[in-house]
Amino acid sequence: MSDGDELVERVIEQLRRPVGIDPALDARVLREIAADARPEAALRAKPRMIWPWLAVAAVLAAVIVARPWARRDVAGETPFQFVLVAPQAASVSLVGDFNDWDPNRAPMQVAHGVWAAVVQLPPGRYRYAFLVNGVEWRSDPTAPHASDDEFGTPSSVVTVTGGGT
Amino acid sequence: MGIGKVESSDAELVGRVRAGDISAYGALVARYRDRLGRYAVHMIGDREDAEEALQDSFVRAYRSLGRCTDPARFGAWLYGILVNRCRTTGARAARRRRVFVAADEFDRATPNGPDELERLEWADLVERALARLGPEYREAFLLKHVEDLEYEEMAEVTGAGVSALKMRVKRAREQLQKLLTEARHV
Repeated sequence: MSDGDELVERVIEQLRRPVGIDPALDARVLREIAADARPEAALRAKPRMIWPWLAVAAVLAAVIVARPWARRDVAGETPFQFVLVAPQAASVSLVGDFNDWDPNRAPMQVAHGVWAAVVQLPPGRYRYAFLVNGVEWRSDPTAPHASDDEFGTPSSVVTVTGGGT
Repeated sequence: MGIGKVESSDAELVGRVRAGDISAYGALVARYRDRLGRYAVHMIGDREDAEEALQDSFVRAYRSLGRCTDPARFGAWLYGILVNRCRTTGARAARRRRVFVAADEFDRATPNGPDELERLEWADLVERALARLGPEYREAFLLKHVEDLEYEEMAEVTGAGVSALKMRVKRAREQLQKLLTEARHV
């Protein structure tokens, strides 16, 4: 082993030492998530088998992101309407950075198989997805794919500019 | 040692959390706190920012647990969230300041004898050399040599290709050798 390699091995040995993270961090995390009071459905994984009718719905599904309305409200937020065509779905929620990916905060309303929700968004870049029947994650095929999504499930991106888009 | 097979009961704990047992998530937090915390501290260089990033990553992971498609690999999934979070925090911290962990230790403790002083000086040298690496090099070096991830796991966590990661680790090693050799001759 060269002197340089020995030096790097000493560096690695040093960096592997425990750094003493505050054990109270555990309690802080639990306190924060307990405050969420999230329902069981929000935490369920995908089912092992997707119902055939859901697959059919997936083929038929198309997403239309409505253009923001022309007006802006007094707080500088822009109302965005998100729309998903999913006639076989029992429920659809809009989840994203703007609502902490909480399915309860933006349940979508359905009319003739078309699900819609309006969200007030201040200027910024937001990742979002649709949660169908509480278990199936779908990105928005008509919007840019969120390549920086670290969760490993599909999501899309919407950008709200200061002057509206 | 990887991050996929070590914690065989991660899947069981994730299943309990999904069934509504928050205490099971406490067990996951306790299991990964020190290991992920070490990565965050070395990556960001500031203990307070690192603990904030770590806490935020745990909370984000909980809120997005439905998106963890392979609960047996919860650890790798969690690493991905933390790595991403550290990138954001690191970029902010780099613009603001960087407080060295070892320097912080100097402030908090009176070295107990020459050996302890030497250890703290060495720790300080290492932290400063690490801080001078580019964030991508630092990230790759820590994941490979300190956190013991395989290159395939690193690729999954960072989104970078295996060959690029190998190059980053090699460059990081070379730069650390150079920086520390220079520092010891000053």
